[in-house]
Amino acid sequence: MVTTFKLNGKTVAWELDPGLSLRDALRAKGVISVRNGCDGEGSCGLCAVLLDGRSVNSCQLLAVQAAGRDVRTVESLSKGRELGIVQRALVDAACVQCGYCTPAVALAIEELLRRDKNPSREAIADALSSTMCRCTGYEQFFDAVRIASKRLADPSYAEPAGPEFRPDLRHIGKDRDKVDAARLALGERAFVEDRVDADACHLKMLHSPHAHAWIKAIDASAAEAMPGVVAVLTHLNCPDQVYTTAGQGFPEPSPYDQRMFSKKVRHVGDRVAAVLAETPAEAQAALEAIVVEYETLKPVLSIAEAKAPGAPIVHSGAVSYVVGGPPEGTSVEGDGRDDPVVYQFPLHSDPHRNLAASAADGIGDIEAGFADADLVIERKYKGNRVQCTPMEPHVVYARIDSGRLVLRASTQVPWHVRRIVARAIGIPENKVRVIKERVGGGFGAKQDIVVEDVAGYLAWKTGRPVFFRYDREKEFIASRTRHVMEIEVKLGAKRDGRLTAIQMRLDADTGPYGQHCLTVPMNAISKSLPLLLCDNVRFEVKSYYTNLSPAGAYQGYGAPKGSFALQTCLAELAAELGIEQLEMIERNRVRSGTRIEILRSLGEGRAGTAVTLGECGLGDMLARGKAAFAWDLAKEQAPSHAVSASPKASEIPYAQGDWKIGRGAVIIQQGSGLPGLDAANAELRLLADGTLLMLSGGADLGTGLDTVTAKAAAEILGLDMEDVEVVSGDTDVTPFDKGAYASSGTYFSGNAAVRAAEDLRDKVLAAAAAVLGEDAGRLKIAHRGRVVGERGEVSLARLAHMSIQGEGHHELVGFGNFKTEHAAFPYGAHFVQAAVNERTGEVRLSKYYAYQDCGTPINPALAVGQIYGGVMKAVGHSLYEEMIYDETGRCVNPRFLDYKIPSILEVPEDFRVELMPVADEVGPFGGKSVSEIALNGAAPAISIAIHDAVGAWVREWPFTPERVLRAMGKL
Amino acid sequence: MKSVQRYANPSSLQEALAARKADPGASYLAGGTCLLAGDGRDRPESVIDVGRSLPREILREGSLLSIGAGATFQELAESRELPPCVTDAALSMVNRNTRNRATLGGNLGADKSCSSLIPILIALEAEVEAASPSASPANPPGLERFGLEAWLRSRAEAPDIWRAADLVVRVLVPLVEGRRAAYRRWNRVACDLSVLGVAASYRIEDGGVSGLRLALGGQGPKPRRFPALEALFEGVALPSREVIEEAVSPLLRPIDDLRASAAFKRLRGAQLVADALLSASAQYGASALSGASDHRGERIW
Repeated sequence: MVTTFKLNGKTVAWELDPGLSLRDALRAKGVISVRNGCDGEGSCGLCAVLLDGRSVNSCQLLAVQAAGRDVRTVESLSKGRELGIVQRALVDAACVQCGYCTPAVALAIEELLRRDKNPSREAIADALSSTMCRCTGYEQFFDAVRIASKRLADPSYAEPAGPEFRPDLRHIGKDRDKVDAARLALGERAFVEDRVDADACHLKMLHSPHAHAWIKAIDASAAEAMPGVVAVLTHLNCPDQVYTTAGQGFPEPSPYDQRMFSKKVRHVGDRVAAVLAETPAEAQAALEAIVVEYETLKPVLSIAEAKAPGAPIVHSGAVSYVVGGPPEGTSVEGDGRDDPVVYQFPLHSDPHRNLAASAADGIGDIEAGFADADLVIERKYKGNRVQCTPMEPHVVYARIDSGRLVLRASTQVPWHVRRIVARAIGIPENKVRVIKERVGGGFGAKQDIVVEDVAGYLAWKTGRPVFFRYDREKEFIASRTRHVMEIEVKLGAKRDGRLTAIQMRLDADTGPYGQHCLTVPMNAISKSLPLLLCDNVRFEVKSYYTNLSPAGAYQGYGAPKGSFALQTCLAELAAELGIEQLEMIERNRVRSGTRIEILRSLGEGRAGTAVTLGECGLGDMLARGKAAFAWDLAKEQAPSHAVSASPKASEIPYAQGDWKIGRGAVIIQQGSGLPGLDAANAELRLLADGTLLMLSGGADLGTGLDTVTAKAAAEILGLDMEDVEVVSGDTDVTPFDKGAYASSGTYFSGNAAVRAAEDLRDKVLAAAAAVLGEDAGRLKIAHRGRVVGERGEVSLARLAHMSIQGEGHHELVGFGNFKTEHAAFPYGAHFVQAAVNERTGEVRLSKYYAYQDCGTPINPALAVGQIYGGVMKAVGHSLYEEMIYDETGRCVNPRFLDYKIPSILEVPEDFRVELMPVADEVGPFGGKSVSEIALNGAAPAISIAIHDAVGAWVREWPFTPERVLRAMGKL
Repeated sequence: MKSVQRYANPSSLQEALAARKADPGASYLAGGTCLLAGDGRDRPESVIDVGRSLPREILREGSLLSIGAGATFQELAESRELPPCVTDAALSMVNRNTRNRATLGGNLGADKSCSSLIPILIALEAEVEAASPSASPANPPGLERFGLEAWLRSRAEAPDIWRAADLVVRVLVPLVEGRRAAYRRWNRVACDLSVLGVAASYRIEDGGVSGLRLALGGQGPKPRRFPALEALFEGVALPSREVIEEAVSPLLRPIDDLRASAAFKRLRGAQLVADALLSASAQYGASALSGASDHRGERIW
């Protein structure tokens, strides 16, 4: 039916199917700023439009209901490509990270400011209550609203600059616009789903309903014959090749244990068949016509079940090693039926006993250490499964172009995608091009090749363009999750609190496949133990196969769980010894100049070496936190602000006396990339008009990496930010980069950009020396785009122009490579004040301060935003988030209705991030990594605060009211 | 998956009823936050959009409050006419985009255990004015009045028969001298459905509780009154919080589900009953309807 309505001020008359949602109608008509993150559930708010001025979810409106109404999308806020006031404020407040939610946020703020010119914090939270954001942690939205509100009153209002660093540099350490922020705020085409051609076919996956089963028979003949169906893929006709989906450096420390399709399904959601058809509906109909006969097997649904004698075996195929051999006493012979498991090198594994990998090492004499202790305690901590929940689910668009496979991908690892997809399909790497589009949140889940292999293969095989996008449920059950970990910590200490022995025994649940099976659990050890000085340390790590959802990388990469166990146990020991918890940290922590012996046994698969720490900002950060929390004074008893975190004052319990206040503080660390293993490259071209084109291999996930590389170029070549454009993460156009993981973006890709810029600078100076007739050593780059000598000057534009004309020798291009043996640890201290209701078990965060030493902050407001976002993810994991399974291994809450991630209303009332720069000698301009570390503090700090408030230790996250009450013995 | 094939957008109640009479299988569509939620769910083949057909005014009519069924949760929240216990319940739908669409009538029609409005409206002895397509010349719009709980119960138990009068047009809440009321809920995060909800209303007579109505959500498949709980406190002075909880807890029979264990729901549900009873007392005091402000400085009912 024809529906006439106003869209962004213009009357449109659209012929509409009555069943179509307004969201889908708008997208179909090219209004792609209206996004979809929850499949119509109404939880995420990314499809928001203003309907007659009110913000509503367009997924729950039929498009025909728009008749006669006024519909506005983010496009209405700007004039052409000129940002509107709200959009500009979002850019200024560093609120645009991945940008997937930005249009919805902008609309919500627009609506708010129309009815409330000067809104309170509560009103802002109410206006943004509908919009989920995983990157920003919401806090800077409050700044954006304040800025927009002031500009509405006074368009010339300029926000004062935030904290600045490195006064000797023009751009580094100062806030500059994130280079992609404006176009994301405008809602321009940026993501994979915005690149799909009209002739694209649609891929739909049939997922296993069983946690563990053989596919006895599968008949796709009816499906293949259905209208619109292009191809059906099952284990019978897919490439016979095993690989790992982990996007890690080659050779991967993850077993090759996954076939594109297998005759055995190993989790609910495992692949059974794929259909490629001309429309989504045809693909769906064909999926339903595939007949599958399963022979179900008993599933392995916990670590305890995985290691029990006689447990069902998740992988029963032949086990082999490319280098080295199996541990003694392990079985390698296959059952003749299951797929093989191939290790690139030994990981102390025993797959036929469900042991995917293991490691054990230490320093000193652990038994002597415990014998020497005055007190020994042993505690067990558990962290449950959480999902990365990028607002943009996994998505890929594959098409054949000029005889090659072009993948438009939402990935953290373009080069690993190229390598793994080429292997999976069985074609050379030069036949594959991967273009990383803007990524709507990665958080680790997009370090894996989850959708690209099958889409790539079907495009290659059929020649048809293939669009494949997960829905939210698939993102939960068939993407990647954080490993369940059970960690036993045993600590010995003298009466004065000095540790004599630390033992950590960690069991991890890697799920049905072994991607990241050793490296994630090992990181729980290697990013927690080196914070404490102790002569006798022992760790054991075991990673088990189960039939639950696949685990993988997730921001922090194991470290949050290791940190939770060790820091909480240290606080428990302090409580037993009667030592104040920060004093306990003080007596045992690393500090500037200490030698970290444990690093000898934490070599990331190579021989490790002890490191003498240079400058360490922990002392200063702890001092700042103690002052801000008045740590030496008795904690305040139930101040009113501690309980008003409730969305509405009316929900405050009438009996304030039930709320007890507790405090907790922890120290945390991470790394900055993988020294000795990874490398990054960049190329910087000087164009004939004097502008720069940065070709960075780095994969910006919304983190601001492209801004880091642009800044490096502008800083070193004496230009402004608008003089630099960045093209990144395109395997044809930009040089190799390991990808964005392991906190390596700024450190590795940023350093590669620095080196490319330095190389270009040197070449420019050499060219200028010839022009000016002066020694290159006497020339200087001057702002903006000039080379100045003692006798004259020449512009970069002229030099560039000359270099590509007959008179030039070669184009002025700088090349930079970065690799290092240097380990740069960012450190942090997180302080929290929580209100715990001793009657209901509820926990609310009244105050959360995160101090972080990230070296020189390259772009301070973006760095701060990364930390807010990291903390809020960790708050979610600590208090609310958990994938729950039934007795058959089915996740029962694969949706935001019941998997609760924090909204703006869960943001701590007093939430602060402070940067404490301690320059790193190798990092770009002294920078270190930023975002992952921020996940490591919340769980232990909140757990310690809960104990401080109500005297109970909650050792399993999330700390739901139910678990708090159980820990208190009240349930 | 079934999707909407036919869409009607009547401009008056009479037209809506006529459309329904012509297409008895059609579903009324209000805010769509329930009926149209979830891309993967089956939708009704035919819908009648009642957005233009239903009143949305919130008015005081003598000793009755009349709330148009088309009022959105946001309109309820913003209303100056409604008592705080009702605006509390409306605001407990924290997601503003949803509040901007979801309507009173739609919420009653969906009759979910997690409804925040149903418990408080039941507690306040609300009646619904429902329209039937089988209108007669004597009663043109075919409007009939039912007690809210009776209407919900009959609809749930005999949906086919009850389809006759399933379009709520207005909700009528009696204004009762001296009544105290409160709504309390438990949710996992702010933007969550009300996993557990409790509404209470009563008067104090001769120092004892009189006319107590307790309606609970999350303690069974539908939000309903719990007469056994009401009997505990009817006619007596309210005991302490602890005594209320201890008395209520054994009478709750929730089920384990992914949102919480039965044990937790029993404990927390009993706490909410105590909170609703005791906070109602604190909120309204003896001067209800006198126009005085309560302790939060809000206008009271």
